[in-house]
Amino acid sequence: MFSQLFSVHARLDPKQRVFVSILSFIIPIIVWCIVSYTPFVWHPKVEITSPAEVSYFKQGMLIDREIFDKEVEGAIQNNQVIPQGNPANPVYLPAPHEVATALYTAFTTEPRRRSEKWLHESLWDSIQVIFWGFFLSSLIAVPLGILAGTYDVFSKLFEPFIEFFRYLPAPAFGALAVAILGIHEAPKIAIIFIGTFFQQVLVVSNTTRKLDPSLLEAAMTLGAKRLSLLFRVVVPGIVTHLYKDMRILLGWAWTYLIVAELIGTSSGITWFITQQARYKNFDNVYAAIIIIGVIGLTTDIILSMLGKRIFPWEKSMAKA
Amino acid sequence: MKNVLKNISRTLAAILLLGIVNSVSAEPLKIGYSDWPGWVAWEVGIEKGWFKEAGVDVKFEWFDYVASMDAFAAGKLDAVSMTNGDTLVTGATGGKGVMMLMNDYSNGNDMVIAKPGITSVKQLKGKKVGVEIGFVGHLLLLNALEKAGLKETDVELVNVPTNETPQVLASGDVDAVVAWQPNSGMALDLVPGSTAIYTSADEPGLIYDTLVASPQSLATRKEDWKKVVGVWYRIVDYIKNPKTYDDAIEIMSSRVGLKAGEYKGFVKGTKILTREEAKTFFKKADGFKSLYGSTKISDDFNVANKVYDKPEDISSYIDASLTTGI
Repeated sequence: MFSQLFSVHARLDPKQRVFVSILSFIIPIIVWCIVSYTPFVWHPKVEITSPAEVSYFKQGMLIDREIFDKEVEGAIQNNQVIPQGNPANPVYLPAPHEVATALYTAFTTEPRRRSEKWLHESLWDSIQVIFWGFFLSSLIAVPLGILAGTYDVFSKLFEPFIEFFRYLPAPAFGALAVAILGIHEAPKIAIIFIGTFFQQVLVVSNTTRKLDPSLLEAAMTLGAKRLSLLFRVVVPGIVTHLYKDMRILLGWAWTYLIVAELIGTSSGITWFITQQARYKNFDNVYAAIIIIGVIGLTTDIILSMLGKRIFPWEKSMAKA
Repeated sequence: MKNVLKNISRTLAAILLLGIVNSVSAEPLKIGYSDWPGWVAWEVGIEKGWFKEAGVDVKFEWFDYVASMDAFAAGKLDAVSMTNGDTLVTGATGGKGVMMLMNDYSNGNDMVIAKPGITSVKQLKGKKVGVEIGFVGHLLLLNALEKAGLKETDVELVNVPTNETPQVLASGDVDAVVAWQPNSGMALDLVPGSTAIYTSADEPGLIYDTLVASPQSLATRKEDWKKVVGVWYRIVDYIKNPKTYDDAIEIMSSRVGLKAGEYKGFVKGTKILTREEAKTFFKKADGFKSLYGSTKISDDFNVANKVYDKPEDISSYIDASLTTGI
């Protein structure tokens, strides 16, 4: 049983797979709990409960343990009242239950101003920015990539410039995007586009190039013309791999969200994260990061299930 | 057939014309603002619907401070909230603006914070100070040093982005940092025993926070801007009135995502100016008691630090008429 778990290149049985997958989430959470709830693990700070006679101590203040110990020693030597405190973690590591509470309250807190949005509305704004950036990028990058992967002339025409351009960091175009596209959604979508597009062309052309050449040869022997070669052999031949590429690239687009939303007016989930971080509410920051992770993972799982539906033959290919 | 074509082209021309006329008159004034108590105060007027009551169509856009200046320089905003010093920097680099309203001056929110053991600016001699060179914190530091009889060369400057100053002070690599709220408060919290050895309250008027309009918007829509200024002083009255103070703070704190109680501390270091107070600071004079004098000092500072090359024409950056009503 145990040795079976570690056999090279063999698939686990379905039950084991689910169990191990869940474990991959449980382990980090357990580590987080241990660091947060066991006072003798880490806890480099002391939260003051009684400042006694130390002038700069305040109730609820977080102090380095060394300094606290020094002050306690000093108080003992001078026969003063001894300051009291509990071991604590730095403010940037809130405990799991604090983050869970923050997650809940973030969604249930009613906007306090008329012009303010609910958290789910802000999230929806962010998702739309991602969607349009990714959609527009795919609209152009996928055909270009397929052409470049199929015909050497297009490969040499597009790829050298794209190779150059993809090294330019997307955020560097922020001020430019605002100058051209205004201050609202458009420049944000542009940054997602710039961040995704160039990689996308290269990834798609690479995938196209990996198509089994014997398929093309067979089709040409059977008299396939240029266009039908492209649309009836190349595209169907790579479509399952293309689908997988798109899933990975969508995740890539998400990573540009935060820089994109810092441009122009403050909006979306990024507004929530940066504003909360500015005032040290790190429990809210973690909550927002978790939300992004959950949205990303959920979309990916849905897309993967959809993929199985759309390309039923892919499964049999994997087994073979 | 000809007639139909004629009709169509006429209609099109009419639509086009209408569009142009519309874009001139009905377009709301776009105003950028960011996280500083004197500017967050606009939220009171927005929330209460006072702009509509005054008959002026405005659209406030919330930004990060630097992003708001970028958008203004790119011509995407009619006005933006900036300090007087940054107005010069933005103007010298292509985004000319006119300060037409004074929200407040910093009254303690900007601080020089020293590690435990250093209790006065004099003791900074030979020490390392973390500051964002060429910006408003640098100006505050020079002012502090001058008053203590020190020169800039008496200390070693370390270039640190303002939002990283708390961690840098905590690291022990520098002996002091210069920052404004909320970073200054964070630095004090993060380094137990550290103190603010000099603040903007020691030199009121070093940093004025203003509303800066583009010259063309100010020229073409002066009546609308007058109404905006009118709403501002209604907001100031609401904040200054003890009966409505709590409600004002509640609205402002909701803008930055804090509880009202937490936000009061940040508001304290900001001296929001009544119209009468603003009028006196709008008078031409030397020194920090006048927007002209204070801006001149910023200008000298900017030229000395090579932020830009030539001195700017200060009076072209200031229009007191909307505040004084002349």
